[in-house]
Amino acid sequence: MSDFASKVKVLRDGQKPEFPSSANTLEYAQSLDAQDELRHLRNEFIIPTRASLKKKALDGIIPGTQTNGTTTSTDADTPCIYFVGNSLGAQPKAVRPYLEAQLETWASIGINGHFSSLSNSPLTPWQDMAADCAAKSAAIVGAADPSEVVIMNTLTVNLHFMMASFYRPTDKRHKIILEWRPFPSDWYAFQSQIEWHGLDPEKSMVEMQPDENLYLSTEKILATIDEHAEDAALLLLPGIQYYTGQLFDIPRITKYAQERGIVVGWDLAHCAGNVELQLHDWNVDFAVWCTYKYLNGGPGSMAGAFVHERHGKVDMSSGKPVFKPRLSGWYGADKSVRFNMDKEFQPTPGAQGFQVSNPSAIDLTSLAAALSVFNKTSMKDLRSKALVLTAYTEHLLDEIVRRQPEGEEPAFKIITPRDPLQRGTQLSLLLRDGLMDTVAAALEENGVVCDKRKPNVIRVAPVPMYCRFEDVWKFMQIFEAAVRG
Amino acid sequence: MSTAAVQDARKQAEALDNEDSIAFVRDEFNIPTKAQIASSRLADSHPAALPASEDDSKCIYLCGNSLGVQPKRTVTRLNQYLTTWATQGVQGHFKPLEESPLPTWLDADAKAAELIAPVVGANVSEVAVMQTLTANIHLLMSAFYRPDINGRHKIILENKAFPSDHFAVETQIRHHGLSTEKSMVLIESSSKDNIISTEEVLSVISAHADTTTLLLLPGIQYYTGQLLDIPAITAFAHKHGIFVIWDLAHAVGNVPLYLHDWGVDAAAWCSYKYLNGGPGCIGGLFVHTNNSVVTKEITDEKPEEGYNNRLAGWWGNDKKTRFVMANKFHPVAGAAGFQLSNPSILDITSLSASLEIFQEAGGMEALRSKSLKLTNFLEATLGQMKEEDRAHFRIITPSKPEERGAQLSLMLSDGLLDTVMKELEARGVIVDERKPNVIRVAPAPLYNTFKDCVLFVEAFSAALEVAKQHAL
Repeated sequence: MSDFASKVKVLRDGQKPEFPSSANTLEYAQSLDAQDELRHLRNEFIIPTRASLKKKALDGIIPGTQTNGTTTSTDADTPCIYFVGNSLGAQPKAVRPYLEAQLETWASIGINGHFSSLSNSPLTPWQDMAADCAAKSAAIVGAADPSEVVIMNTLTVNLHFMMASFYRPTDKRHKIILEWRPFPSDWYAFQSQIEWHGLDPEKSMVEMQPDENLYLSTEKILATIDEHAEDAALLLLPGIQYYTGQLFDIPRITKYAQERGIVVGWDLAHCAGNVELQLHDWNVDFAVWCTYKYLNGGPGSMAGAFVHERHGKVDMSSGKPVFKPRLSGWYGADKSVRFNMDKEFQPTPGAQGFQVSNPSAIDLTSLAAALSVFNKTSMKDLRSKALVLTAYTEHLLDEIVRRQPEGEEPAFKIITPRDPLQRGTQLSLLLRDGLMDTVAAALEENGVVCDKRKPNVIRVAPVPMYCRFEDVWKFMQIFEAAVRG
Repeated sequence: MSTAAVQDARKQAEALDNEDSIAFVRDEFNIPTKAQIASSRLADSHPAALPASEDDSKCIYLCGNSLGVQPKRTVTRLNQYLTTWATQGVQGHFKPLEESPLPTWLDADAKAAELIAPVVGANVSEVAVMQTLTANIHLLMSAFYRPDINGRHKIILENKAFPSDHFAVETQIRHHGLSTEKSMVLIESSSKDNIISTEEVLSVISAHADTTTLLLLPGIQYYTGQLLDIPAITAFAHKHGIFVIWDLAHAVGNVPLYLHDWGVDAAAWCSYKYLNGGPGCIGGLFVHTNNSVVTKEITDEKPEEGYNNRLAGWWGNDKKTRFVMANKFHPVAGAAGFQLSNPSILDITSLSASLEIFQEAGGMEALRSKSLKLTNFLEATLGQMKEEDRAHFRIITPSKPEERGAQLSLMLSDGLLDTVMKELEARGVIVDERKPNVIRVAPAPLYNTFKDCVLFVEAFSAALEVAKQHAL
């Protein structure tokens, strides 16, 4: 078994792998890259270069297309260290040819593009594109069948449409259980949904607080569920907390809440494409996600939703369709009757019956291209690499603190859980007061892109699709110099 | 059509095309050629990369009321977007590039609002480019449909609404625990062609005034092409305390709109018809200033009482406080406060590219001026057809130009539709069908010509001949 493979095994057991004393060398990093069976996926992406990041004007130069393949040290050829795929994924090379094919299709056959595709095109007809992307997403989120997945709208709108169906408060059961720091959009969604039902957000939201390390334990969550077993209507958590990067125990929490009559939804913005999901087997009621982070669909690309099979049934036995109530629109109607212009709504069975409008074929083109890269690998393999990448990152970060002079306050604290199975790719670093500006400047100067959460947190996400161990090592040299002043 | 009539019509068309002051705008579009429209294979390159085709080889595309034609510059802008994403990565959100026609991604929605505002006759703060039509209708209703079963709870809409509007209304009613039997009122048309007179609308409003809270109507009816009297109906509804939402799917980019001055409460639309944004492109909404005020600061007591509550998300939050990540929604005043999510930049880029052309063409009044002539000419030329052909169809769109947009709906005699559509397509004519008997013909002022209208009528005549034979 290779060094790499044995580390994966250790990590999947929830243990820390050992790194040699030479871990903080370029040679060691490159040795891990050499063992990485996914390293070829990096070629599927355009990584901004140091020069391109500094560009002030469009000049038609696409990074990576100017070299003859040899590594040089000019800015124009040096890819940046792009550790911000948790915020905006890098552009898959496939996006441009897919988009060109789509523009050509629209220009050439006009409205016929709805029903026809061109024979050597990577694209389906427009009316099938959303379903095609749903099919390509099914394995990523662990749907049993593409019919449990729908690609539509944006994350927050999907959250609202899902809640319109799944958050049906009664006098007795009206509370939403959430975590201490949901992404603001989720918070506003809860607040406005509660208000839409004529209820009071002060009375209908149960916030779970983390401990002093910003960690929200499963025990605490289960205890809160118990406390509200009679008055909670919905539990909605992020699969991965955006700020700390904590990965929650989705199956266990889901089961526990459902056993007490609570509906369970998950915001998977930071999970989809990052960690392994088995939404169907975990019996999750519904979930929503965006596609511009780890799925690399492009800024604001179309979102997704999961609706468990048991909620998507359309029962025709009485002659009239019987189905889970929802806010409807024509596009949720079954394809066979959609253009009949009937006033009787008969939804497509499954998640796609929750669509309201015909979706943007242009937008779906970009997503289809991005998902085609996921088709070349599996979430299992991506997660295996990510576990090692993040463990290596954590190891080198810990060493930086260890190397600090005795008595000096640590330059930063990792606020992401140390348990590899309780986090995804991202590590959140809480910097010592006063360091943020220096660090930010140093990272920018040296072609490193990370996400900053003012005042003191940076999020570092070496995503497995296109980041290397070499990138992690290089990052550390720059970061250590910055924090050591 | 008789040969003489054809020659006459062609001569007239030529003269009208020569006089057309916005004829130059047609060159801004990639109109499919007849060969392309019939192709089942993706060509090796986009039409833009090929030598310009003769105008004669272009198909006669009269279907812009269903899917608008692609602007040439859309290709350029989307390439620029891809380059920005590839070279800047996440920086694209906030870092402007010199001499780039594209705004930063954080600004893309605001810039798009600036472009769409004049098209709908609104202040920039009254429009938002976001989501899709039906989602926007739901979002508007979530804010403005707040029924009281003991007071005002009814929604009035037309009996033959586009099904999506119907489904949206019925599910919103049911969300509030009400029934469509009690809370949904349908305006029936007394005309066999489903033309709704203003009087009919007003009389239904009067009949249900005290128990109605919302009126939802299409600016232009999708099936008949009728343009409703938006200002009169809106004013009347207001007199009776009713909130009015207009579905402008077929009106936006087609007829001039003055939503602000008309006092329209709210409206929503899609962008892939007359706005030429691309199939399924990001839509938009309008909220009158009166309905989007924010009268309190977030630091005031009970700030939620200072604005109309709505289904919310972070993108509607006041930008000044957006990244404070405080746990309280406080919208920015205006339509922007109804946004929820960061938009698809790809989509917004496609729409913005197309909207540039509206400006260059001189705006909606200039387009309408040509459109009136185009559609009148189409109607007149149809009137020149042989009597035995004219016996097989009827124009069901109102004949008064002020009561219609670009589109004419033709109701064919039974059994002719399929053959007519097939024959039209064989002749390179693209129109839209509404089974069982209607074809919709929409000469769009941005890229159609008077000649297109004549060629349509010629092809239609020939198609009818064939269809009649088959029907025998």
